[in-house]
Amino acid sequence: MTIATFVLALLAAMALGAPIAFSLLICGVAMMVQMGNFDSQIVAQNLLEGANNYPLMAVPFFMLTGELMNAGGLSQRIVDVADALVGHVRGGLGYVAIIAAAIVASISGSAVADTAAVAALLIPMMRNANYNVPRSAGLIASAGCIAPVVPPSIPIVIFGVTAQLSITKLFLAGIFPGLMMAMILAATWWLVARKDFKDAPPRTMDFARLRKALRDGVWALVLPVVIIGGMKAGVFTPTEAASVAVFYSLFAGLLIYRELKLTMIPRVLVAAVRTSATIMFLVASAMVSAWLITVADIPAQVVVLLQPFMDNPITLMFVITLLVIVIGTALDLMPTVLILGPILVPVVKQAGIDPIYFGVIFIMNNAIGLLTPPVGNVLNVVAGVSKESLDDVIKGVWPFLIAETALMFLLVFFPSLVLVPMKWLS
Amino acid sequence: DDIQQRTIRFGHLNNLDHPISAGVKKFAEIVTAKSGGKIQVKEYPSNQLGTEQQQTQALRGGTQEMQSPATTSVVGLVKDLGVIDFPFAVSTYKQGFALVDGPLGEALMQKLPEKGLVALTFWDLGFRNVTNSKRPVAKLEDFQGLKLRVIPNPVFLESFQALKASPMPLSFSELYTALETKAVDGQENPFNVIRSNKFYEVQKYVSATNHVYAANIILVSKMFWDKLSATEQKILKDAAVEARDHQRKVSLTAAEEAVAELKKAGMQYNDVAPAEQERMRRAVQPVIDKFMSSYDPEIQKLYKSEVARVLSIK
Amino acid sequence: MTRIVKWVEGLLAVVLAVMATLVFGNVVLRYGFNTGIMFSEEMSRFLFIWITLIGALVVMKDNAHLGMSSVISLFGDTGRRVCRFLADFLSLLCCLLLVHGSWKQVVLGMEDLAPVTNIPMGIIQASLLIASAGMALVLAVSLWRQLTGRMPSDELIPNSARSGE
Ligand code: NA
Ligand code: NA
Repeated sequence: MTIATFVLALLAAMALGAPIAFSLLICGVAMMVQMGNFDSQIVAQNLLEGANNYPLMAVPFFMLTGELMNAGGLSQRIVDVADALVGHVRGGLGYVAIIAAAIVASISGSAVADTAAVAALLIPMMRNANYNVPRSAGLIASAGCIAPVVPPSIPIVIFGVTAQLSITKLFLAGIFPGLMMAMILAATWWLVARKDFKDAPPRTMDFARLRKALRDGVWALVLPVVIIGGMKAGVFTPTEAASVAVFYSLFAGLLIYRELKLTMIPRVLVAAVRTSATIMFLVASAMVSAWLITVADIPAQVVVLLQPFMDNPITLMFVITLLVIVIGTALDLMPTVLILGPILVPVVKQAGIDPIYFGVIFIMNNAIGLLTPPVGNVLNVVAGVSKESLDDVIKGVWPFLIAETALMFLLVFFPSLVLVPMKWLS
Repeated sequence: DDIQQRTIRFGHLNNLDHPISAGVKKFAEIVTAKSGGKIQVKEYPSNQLGTEQQQTQALRGGTQEMQSPATTSVVGLVKDLGVIDFPFAVSTYKQGFALVDGPLGEALMQKLPEKGLVALTFWDLGFRNVTNSKRPVAKLEDFQGLKLRVIPNPVFLESFQALKASPMPLSFSELYTALETKAVDGQENPFNVIRSNKFYEVQKYVSATNHVYAANIILVSKMFWDKLSATEQKILKDAAVEARDHQRKVSLTAAEEAVAELKKAGMQYNDVAPAEQERMRRAVQPVIDKFMSSYDPEIQKLYKSEVARVLSIK
Repeated sequence: MTRIVKWVEGLLAVVLAVMATLVFGNVVLRYGFNTGIMFSEEMSRFLFIWITLIGALVVMKDNAHLGMSSVISLFGDTGRRVCRFLADFLSLLCCLLLVHGSWKQVVLGMEDLAPVTNIPMGIIQASLLIASAGMALVLAVSLWRQLTGRMPSDELIPNSARSGE
């Protein structure tokens, strides 16, 4: 069976430590050989066409926005607003982290960028206020994973392109699940942090400070409205929205906050080119294996394997969710989306599951996978920023990891929690 | 034996409910029957094997066997194919069929082997028509200022400029979203494509401008073709032509059904009076003249005599 | 060598800025002037292919493509060296395959003109030819360093710190 070749070749190449992009090419070549279809042009052509895609241009643009936002002081303004808003309550910096991460999530397309920005600003504040640092790092990491679920989102753009689904619809469908993630994190923080802060005297609310923070932060706070509102109201397409975000954050950083200097722009552009090329090369390589997955009819083979569950959408979603959790421990978001997306989307469609709903759960699952050891990239980021050991950060993250996983299963068993708000927004 | 076991990968961009897919299924059935089950045709719809341009490249490189692209997708390779898509050349299906089935179509198909492709025949895509969210397009002046997404092709871009519309560059993959969000006012495609891509969900007006008769060309990889025996080649050629007649019937019925369905879905439909169509044709004539002179003189001559011939068909 | 890489990076940065301007410019023109840059969609897409592939080559030179380190880090030094050698060798074969395939594509593509800009597709596809040839060179140097014992142990583990997720 080609599916066995596909899985074995991919796993073997990845286990050797070959770059994942090359592992996908190696697995594609193995499938060609097995199908008696070996031709170097198949590899070259599909790789080229993988990059020849207009909607994917949102990827470098969102990267660039993230870089400009940090360099231009927009992230700092967002944290200031959140701090003035809820910093005074008991354990308040935790809520500040959640709110800041959620707002940054609606500007940033990447969990890593969101986590890095919020952690760099808040962990020093939390350390000074005698917070439990590993627990704080765990919270920020879990809050950063909201970024791929709510728009804009690089993983959703890539998933939408590979699965040929409307990116706008996927974006809008992710808003409520992302909000629910923020709420469940706040509740969990309240639960676990109660005993940590029982002695800490709460500050009083300072309205003058809030007014100042809001006035100062309005330019940063308007950006999510411009991106999501502009797309929803039909001013521009997702790719165009991404380019608007670039020029908006450039404008705010240069002329409003004046923290971005013209001399910094080349460095910002190079950083965006490098991260985007890394991801896009992965995407382009995945198009090679995706083409062979189609020609080898692997989704049909998976349908046969999942036959016992095909009649009941909720059971099927449950099984797929478990499978993705397991794969998510060892693989991070983008490779999982690229490898499993082309296989699973035809399967769920055949089972009568709304592919947009599936996409939201799938992306959320993979975002949570960024928190699960041994391979949890967001964990590495917070460990690096907080200078705590990875083991301590893993201990800090688990309550939030469990809470987010529980939320995901809630959405699996009650799809209307995703589907009904999705209808309101469309 | 002169018939071998073979599998043909046949790709196209349309969905399974589209008449092109009906043509591929019919073609597959005939080929299987004529080859005694030895030659199998496997259909890959919905761009599964990549965009039309990518698939054409795959045919030329010998990594895919067949496809049915719109002629507009192949003009980058064989420029002269562009004559088929000149706006307002013919006004009925019969005329469109006669044009591509006649000596002009034959002469154009002869230009493909040097590019690594063999063309078998032309199937029907249908007349292209304008939809938009602003107003019915019933006369020339109604085009004024409409932001229309047109296929990225210089003849189309300049023709719509000549009609005083604002042609917008936009990839097809973002078209639905752009229409939904009113980033552009409208687009132009055959009724079947409008239905198949659910543009009726996001557009108010559909106008039978019939501005271009669009055909799909049935292509075989030349590298694959040269491996076939004469018997096998004949099977494919005959099957493509036989499937064509079926495909056109399906396509015509589907276009009628599509119009009914678009109306039912709440779109406002209008015809364009022949006199108004003639005014539109005159408006784009300078564009046609400009581009015509850049084609192969033989093709120019043939095109003029053929259009004159088919226009007498009622 | 570092100078060349810096220069290429600078060029790619300019190209990214041009891409963003083309796309943003279209939005501005559509609302401000009811028009559009005809070649914007096609041209920005072509630039995107170039920065993706040449950028991937630059990243490859810095050994910064994403890999999975969890299995390989279980092994001792010898095991890691064997794995790294095999991984680089298989990747080199892929690159050579890409060189061969993209060469054929470029030859075919030179007579296939893009619909709006009329740029031969072969020029676009040449980006992969350059990128894969460059990557093959990077991998060949890496294999040579491994065979001659010039690769230090701390270079053996692949980079698993990713961004963009
Ligand atoms: Na986001
Ligand atoms: Na993980």
